[in-house]
Amino acid sequence: MTAETTDHAGAASTHSAPPAPGSPLEQTGAYRGAAVLGWVLSQHRRALLLWGLAVAVVAAIYVSFYPAMGDTGELEALVEGLPDGLIAALGYDGIGTAAGYLESTVFGLLAPILLLVFALAFAARLIAGEEESGELELELTAPVGRRRVYLERAVALAIAVSWLGVVTGTVSLLLVAALDLEVAAWPLVTTTVGLILLVLAMAAISYAVGAATGRRAWALGAGAGVAVAGYMANALAPLLEDGAWLARLSPFAWYLSEDPLVHGLRGAGAAGLLVVAVVAIVVGLLAYERRDLGV
Amino acid sequence: MSADTVIRTEGLVKAYGSGNRRVLALDGLDLEVQRGEVFGFLGPNGAGKSTTIRVLLDQLRPTAGMAEVFGRSPVDGGVGTRARIGYLPGELAMGGRASAGELLHHLTALRGGRGAERIDDLAERLTLDLDRPIRGLSKGNKQKVGVIQAFLHRPELLILDEPTSGLDPLLQHEFLAMVREAQADGATVFMSSHVLSEVESVAGRVAIVRAGRIVDLDEVATLRHHAGQRIELRFDAPVEPAPFAALPGVSDVEVEDSTLRCLLRGEPDALLKAAAGHHVTRWSATDRELEDLFLDHYRMPVTPEEVADDDR
Repeated sequence: MTAETTDHAGAASTHSAPPAPGSPLEQTGAYRGAAVLGWVLSQHRRALLLWGLAVAVVAAIYVSFYPAMGDTGELEALVEGLPDGLIAALGYDGIGTAAGYLESTVFGLLAPILLLVFALAFAARLIAGEEESGELELELTAPVGRRRVYLERAVALAIAVSWLGVVTGTVSLLLVAALDLEVAAWPLVTTTVGLILLVLAMAAISYAVGAATGRRAWALGAGAGVAVAGYMANALAPLLEDGAWLARLSPFAWYLSEDPLVHGLRGAGAAGLLVVAVVAIVVGLLAYERRDLGV
Repeated sequence: MSADTVIRTEGLVKAYGSGNRRVLALDGLDLEVQRGEVFGFLGPNGAGKSTTIRVLLDQLRPTAGMAEVFGRSPVDGGVGTRARIGYLPGELAMGGRASAGELLHHLTALRGGRGAERIDDLAERLTLDLDRPIRGLSKGNKQKVGVIQAFLHRPELLILDEPTSGLDPLLQHEFLAMVREAQADGATVFMSSHVLSEVESVAGRVAIVRAGRIVDLDEVATLRHHAGQRIELRFDAPVEPAPFAALPGVSDVEVEDSTLRCLLRGEPDALLKAAAGHHVTRWSATDRELEDLFLDHYRMPVTPEEVADDDR
């Protein structure tokens, strides 16, 4: 972390006569380093640790359950009693295998929900929430450009989401190895990347809407709306006769289709999620640089 | 434009909303603040003080008209302009687990570290405990953090929005001393308030803003003279109002039994001498506040006697 870097830029000129307008001396005392990023992370370090712990515990519990349930065929027997459509909607098609079990529990449902709850709230708070409360004013009136504030805080969001994704992946990987489950390491790593990209895409939408409007509620609503719609589209698509088009629209399908824990994350799916995240961040920035702040 | 003009606005307009719900926060505001002066920016709440300030800091973008700080628009000047400004927001919001010291160090890091070496001195001067977490601080203590962060880097221009709100009288005194020192060091100070008495001991010129326009601009002493004092005199017997009403600088005379109330502009000498002819049992003199000045501004037309008094 390069936080709290203190450069003494142009210190020699600081105490001389006031610089003429437009002279290069105007840059004196300008911002360097990544103090905004460091500050945001240090302000939320406790929340990040606690969320990491929660995600680790949930992942550990679910992975450790598999030998007791899935391996004995009990889960499969349970699921067989359900209607085919419901099985497809829940993604339980492959629940009898370790990879299928992990995909329908940890990576397909619990981790996305936990990470999204944290990430959407965090994204909505980082710009819109702190603008509404007024906390951002001192940062934005300091010699730090709006773009800089926006991008450093976006990086903080990406780091936070990646951290929770990495915790999920690492705990799963360790337990899969410890319990000797039949899940290959590489697909698990790429699925973890997919999980991070999925959550980042939704969080980027919240972040961007928050930056464009300055309203925390709208930011939360936009991200949560896309997440719920995307999840529903992915769950309902298998039930429809020609549901493939619906699944193609869903970020959840980009991440989960074709069993990433068996075959690895699809490149096209990963690219789609990345594009959503980047486009959202760019559009949010353009709007943020043009609007009135704190109104 | 003179090179010594630090802040300039011309016909500055800021509108919110559109159509029937269009609200003008600023309605053609003209302002010029010269290098080295302490400029008071006075007006009631909602007059447009904070809006003006937030345009100068590029938080708000003008609807029409122009604004310049150090000869450049706030948008063009951007980071370079803000590096030369120390700003105390009117509604200071701070939270989090960080201590006051950590926050101040963070804020100096945003300025390339400038001013970090003064944190301890200024905290001691304003009696702020740097180790306490921000979220537990009282309003007054938060205001101290706000004042300190504005002064830390010895900015060329201090923009202070309602700076003394929340500070107790002792600290107000210390704060005003800091303003004077900054001015002695060559800084320009632009401070807003809704109370004349808050700025009158340090400000040179004062602009009065109302409904998004400057309605008066003058030396603070002149404004104080215009505002005058409310005088109340109690005698041991009823008095006639007429002799008092005829005195120079005295107006709005009311007598109720043995109590006389009037408005005094200028020296009290003649009034005191006239009162000395009676037995005075009690007296009080209160400086009139800005609200009264506004009333005067909108009490049109001004009576001839008042004009005569003022031109004396």
